[in-house]
Amino acid sequence: MSVKIKLSMWASGCFFLVGLAVWFYQLQQGLILTNMENSYSWGLYISGLAFFVGNAAGGLVLTSSIYLFGVKQLKPLAKLGALTAFANVTAAMLIVLPDIGKPLRLLNLLLHPNFMSPLVWDVIVLNLYALASATYLYILMLPELTGRLEWLAFKVDDAQAFSERWAKRMAPVALLFAIGIHVVTAWIFSTQGARDWWHSPAMAPDFVSVAIAVGTTVVLLAGALAYGTGEKYQEAFRLLGLIIFMAICVHLFLMMNDLVIHAWYGSGETHRIIEIAWGDFAWFHIFEVAAPLIGAGLLMLPTVRRSLPRLAMSSALLIAGVFVHRFLIMPAAFNNFPMTMTPLGLPNSHWSLPIATGRFFPGMSTFIEQYSYMPSLVEVVILLGIVAYAVLLILLAIDRLPILVKEKS
Amino acid sequence: MKMGMVIDLEKCIGCRSCMVACKQHNAQPPQTWWNRVFTPGSHRHLTPPIKGVEFFLPVHCQHCENAPCEKVCPVGATYHAEDGAVLIDFERCIGCRYCMSACPYGVRQFNWEDPEKAHKRSEYQDAYHYGYPEDHRHAGRLVYTPLRPKGVVEKCTFCTQYRDKGELPACVRGCPGKARFVGDLDDPNSEVSKMIKAKNAFTLLPEKGTKPTVFYLPPKPKEV
Repeated sequence: MSVKIKLSMWASGCFFLVGLAVWFYQLQQGLILTNMENSYSWGLYISGLAFFVGNAAGGLVLTSSIYLFGVKQLKPLAKLGALTAFANVTAAMLIVLPDIGKPLRLLNLLLHPNFMSPLVWDVIVLNLYALASATYLYILMLPELTGRLEWLAFKVDDAQAFSERWAKRMAPVALLFAIGIHVVTAWIFSTQGARDWWHSPAMAPDFVSVAIAVGTTVVLLAGALAYGTGEKYQEAFRLLGLIIFMAICVHLFLMMNDLVIHAWYGSGETHRIIEIAWGDFAWFHIFEVAAPLIGAGLLMLPTVRRSLPRLAMSSALLIAGVFVHRFLIMPAAFNNFPMTMTPLGLPNSHWSLPIATGRFFPGMSTFIEQYSYMPSLVEVVILLGIVAYAVLLILLAIDRLPILVKEKS
Repeated sequence: MKMGMVIDLEKCIGCRSCMVACKQHNAQPPQTWWNRVFTPGSHRHLTPPIKGVEFFLPVHCQHCENAPCEKVCPVGATYHAEDGAVLIDFERCIGCRYCMSACPYGVRQFNWEDPEKAHKRSEYQDAYHYGYPEDHRHAGRLVYTPLRPKGVVEKCTFCTQYRDKGELPACVRGCPGKARFVGDLDDPNSEVSKMIKAKNAFTLLPEKGTKPTVFYLPPKPKEV
């Protein structure tokens, strides 16, 4: 194990523990430690859910490319794809826990599930996808589970053929769950008729396109960090870059399509959406558009793909842009109160009913008409703790399991 | 039997007595208000936005027939009681706050911390507690408790603890203008059904398709 990996493992392990400790502190004190309040009831944690769910798409892109479309060049990255998918989908489930007011009651999801709730569907598909990517990874590793790891191996006559056969059989099933996690996570938002910003049929396809872009970027970055940017991998990296760029274009189209429709009609509640999305959050919006576009554009250049620092920087730019995009799920939904009316006798005027914040601090107003949310330090540390968990899991697996294809000397 | 409420805006004087009665009787923690009364169009209550158009609007849970909060609740903690009221089971709620974003009326409130701590910070006298003092169970489910656990969502119950004893909700009893009425919407001869028909009752955000069971009677234009 190189010193670099060892250090990264220690660093991510420590970050994860700090995040865990802060979560316990929040459990004890309540969600008062976050900056959410009654009118702005979801924040960084639920944005984090959407972010990690998107990152988990890598497995989907690789398995379907390799086993459904026969792109053999990507095979050395298959296990890495399944691993990043597993790490991110479990991170997505973990980041929901600190958002829950009574996490000890989660058993109620099993005891009293309400199957009308898209949240219940999401719990089901996320778990199935986690199970599917873990099983898939196991099947891909099976032929190499020898020696020290033999006790892990499931006994079959010809492990290589078994692995190949079952990987092919599982690919369509895994693909179904993989698309499912993005669609159902989008439905959590887009089924809500109360929030005009979310109530759009473009949201589910947009989640799929963002996920294909960012999930593939995660695999590309992990692959480059693990294998380097040697000539051998350039064809695989070129293909991934192309997938990323096309997915980003589809995503930007779907996002702009929604915004243009809102902006064109421009009155009442829809006007408020544009005021927030293009006004209050203009710089965030410019970043959510420019960063993924520039990042994906750079990854199309062979010179960028041949240099590890450049590839890493471009990927990080794209991932950061997608993160900001996920953050922006909330403001235009929560700062546009649905309970608005045209007061009787005052046509053409627009009024929204203030909401009690639910958080008492001396000197703070009780009823508010809008709220500038920025996450608290507690929220940021817990989110970073979950990122550290995903990194640690990937590093540990690479270190202990036959994830990487050994160079033949 | 389908419970419904009619609020006559012509009779509402904007005194906020119902707000206070609701807050006190239901032991709402500091900064939590199930019931809000505002002056539409104005940023300041009891100040007309423009001469001649002042009226007041009390808003609390609309006890919708097609309630999005009930539909999104992953554990069925929010449910319809047999009389049509939408209630929350405090022992079932996991605190995911999905219902809060699903509700278009902004009536749902979360317990961001242990209410006792907020009481302390707001400098209430020690051991001073207001509100109906006992836990109340409706058909076995805990729908009212004076000391709310942290991490659960709460909202108007139409005062289930009083209605189950045959008494009226606190806001109805506390209204000095007698602007609030409750009754059976299924009975065409009930007082509420007749008022809804005769006085052009309207509901809030009908375009959201939630079918509220709280109806408002429009006020007459008045000179200020």
